[in-house]
Amino acid sequence: MTATSAPARPRPAAARPSAAWPAWRLLRLELRRSPMPWTFPLLAALFAFDPYRTAMGYPAVWTIRASVLPNKLLPDFVVFVVAIAAWAGSRDGRRRTLDLVEITPRPRWAGQLAAWAATTIWAIAAFLAGTAVLYAVTATQATWGGPPWWPVIVSCAELAALAALGFTAGALWPGRFTAPLAAVATFLLSLEGFRNAVGRSSAYAVLSPTTYVPGNDAGVFYRYPPDVAIDQLMFLAGLAVVALGVLGLARSSGAGAGLRRGAAVAAAAGLAAAATAVGLAGTARQALPGTGRPPSATSPLGMQAAWVIPALHDAASDRPLPYIPVCQTVAAVPVCIHPAFRVFLPDVTAALGPVLREIAGLPGAPARAGQAASGSLVPRSGQVLVDWTPEGEISGTPPVFSYTADQVPARSFGESRRAFVTGLQAALVAAFVPAGVGQPATGAPAVPGRRTVPAVAARVAMQEALLMAAGVPLGTQRYQGLIQVQLPRAAQAQADAAAQRFAALPAATRHAWLARHLAALRAGQLTLARLP
Amino acid sequence: MNIETAGLARRFGSTQAVAGVDLATGPGVFGLLGPNGAGKTTLLRMMATVIPPSSGSLRLLGRDPGRYGPRREIRRRLGYLPQNLGYYPSFTVAEFIEYFALLKEMPSARVPGAVAAAVEQVGLGERARTKLRTLSGGMLRRVGIAQAIVNDPELLLLDEPTAGLDPEQRVSFRAMLRDLGQRATVVVSTHLVEDVGAACTEVALMHQGKIVFRGTPAELTARGVDGGAGDAPLERGYTAVLAEARS
Repeated sequence: MTATSAPARPRPAAARPSAAWPAWRLLRLELRRSPMPWTFPLLAALFAFDPYRTAMGYPAVWTIRASVLPNKLLPDFVVFVVAIAAWAGSRDGRRRTLDLVEITPRPRWAGQLAAWAATTIWAIAAFLAGTAVLYAVTATQATWGGPPWWPVIVSCAELAALAALGFTAGALWPGRFTAPLAAVATFLLSLEGFRNAVGRSSAYAVLSPTTYVPGNDAGVFYRYPPDVAIDQLMFLAGLAVVALGVLGLARSSGAGAGLRRGAAVAAAAGLAAAATAVGLAGTARQALPGTGRPPSATSPLGMQAAWVIPALHDAASDRPLPYIPVCQTVAAVPVCIHPAFRVFLPDVTAALGPVLREIAGLPGAPARAGQAASGSLVPRSGQVLVDWTPEGEISGTPPVFSYTADQVPARSFGESRRAFVTGLQAALVAAFVPAGVGQPATGAPAVPGRRTVPAVAARVAMQEALLMAAGVPLGTQRYQGLIQVQLPRAAQAQADAAAQRFAALPAATRHAWLARHLAALRAGQLTLARLP
Repeated sequence: MNIETAGLARRFGSTQAVAGVDLATGPGVFGLLGPNGAGKTTLLRMMATVIPPSSGSLRLLGRDPGRYGPRREIRRRLGYLPQNLGYYPSFTVAEFIEYFALLKEMPSARVPGAVAAAVEQVGLGERARTKLRTLSGGMLRRVGIAQAIVNDPELLLLDEPTAGLDPEQRVSFRAMLRDLGQRATVVVSTHLVEDVGAACTEVALMHQGKIVFRGTPAELTARGVDGGAGDAPLERGYTAVLAEARS
């Protein structure tokens, strides 16, 4: 039918503003025509190549797998999301539809919000699809616990906030280069710039989900602390509202005085929320996971400490989560592990077995070995720090060897099984025969004072000998830095020779000698010359 | 009167695009003629509330477009086809028109019917689900006309609406204009004087930002009887008036 043959339309009743806000119709149109879905094949490929592959290399522990969301999936997605949002925001400028959209009675801002919402909804849908895949696979493999939702929530908030910033940039500076520039700027500012500007160890680093990732055993031994997530949510929501509010305040928004006031109030509220979040981040302090206590000044556990924001901190987060450990007996000693790390029990027993057999029945030999939360082995305040290592300690009556949780997933973070096994053996040996010299906070090898060298050398030799007896050659010990005490060159050579002599003795002879001299050795009363 | 202007002027930097236009017109099809740079598009953009006037007064549909509330009421009753129509290539014909129907605050329930009617009226019924990126220039022009008329406007402003239309489409379009002119004020800016002769009830000729002639197409034709260049009588009237204005 053409215009000539079309019947003349009778004029309907004068158009009245629709009573119901047809936002859903606009949104439906924008969802249908958003360019975001065009990026899905690329995002899917990226997901398979980076976050999924990384996550599958991690142990099937919910928190560790979930750390991939802000650490890998979000940075991979965010650059594309910002670019597409900027592209969508610049649409009217690029397509020269400004004359049309600026003269409609519905403010242009409404159409812009619909376009932003469509981009954001698609982006979040893609992110949630990736999350669903990761979580679904993890659900079939995890042996304890459930999926943490805070990383998902803050990641979605970051996608929405950066999409708002990108969209606003596109709307204010429309052009074909806005989108790629926004993507590059996001990469440089949000990821690298932010990291470099505030530093990974700065309290302000907690503002970005991609910069701050909670410890490995958050949500395992104690609750997932929501302090930082709430602060991030406040910051990101504030940024999003500011960006969208600025869009409403722009001259081309078509908003009336009332709507402009609303946009101004929203932008101010967003700014206040973001500023509050920044202020709260400034009050963040590091605390040992699950304890709320600050880490010791000499503790090398800084990386394992969680950030606590006092104003948002709920003491309930510090309460330990109940669990029933999974155990296996080796050399008559039960070796236990948190059920979340059940898959590593064979590795742990394989590591501790040879050493436990070597020291079974000796004074101070552990009657049990168990896993402890990261940072939980830090000495109490005022206690002299001697021979504490982050990997383990022997304490209590009967003696229990505790090794830390952060060490176990390290097995999967690029560390070979052999390195993991020898590391745990070294931790047990160091806890059983303390070298008698403090561990520096930097994690560098401890250096004994000149007067203490002879006594320390005997204990270092014994550590080396026990490791050799457990099957770890001296060369491997040296290569992996398993002995964390550095002796003077001559003393080290003597200690190595003594260790080799002792390790070459029959097991029964070694055991008998240790039974007689262990107390004196630990007390620093024996020198290398007294070793057989 | 649906359009009332008095001393309406618009300046862009040192360029005086519109220099004091006095105009009053009611329902009917009003043709705006003039050479390139005469100020037709600027005048139309002011009437479409795209840009405000630098000076003078403008009332549209009895309201002052300088104030937000009345401007919104005007826009609800306005249809506008810009000279350079921008469009979203990924939208279909129907989606593009629906998008503007929604932005024009049409009641949700009326939108689907109005979109279908507008698409039919411009003869694109069979292409309603076609993506805009695949349409020819003439078809895109018809999409632009459809989005302008979808809200059944009381004031319809069309800037070069027939540019790119083939002769058959132009004939159809003129019939549509005559139909719309029965109920609304339609202002058509064009270079094509035959469009004016066929569809307009009144015509104004602009030169250097001013209206130098206003009358019926027959009156314009009459001005060319004693001179003027052109193949058609209306063209001779057009050139005669322009020559007089330039002298």
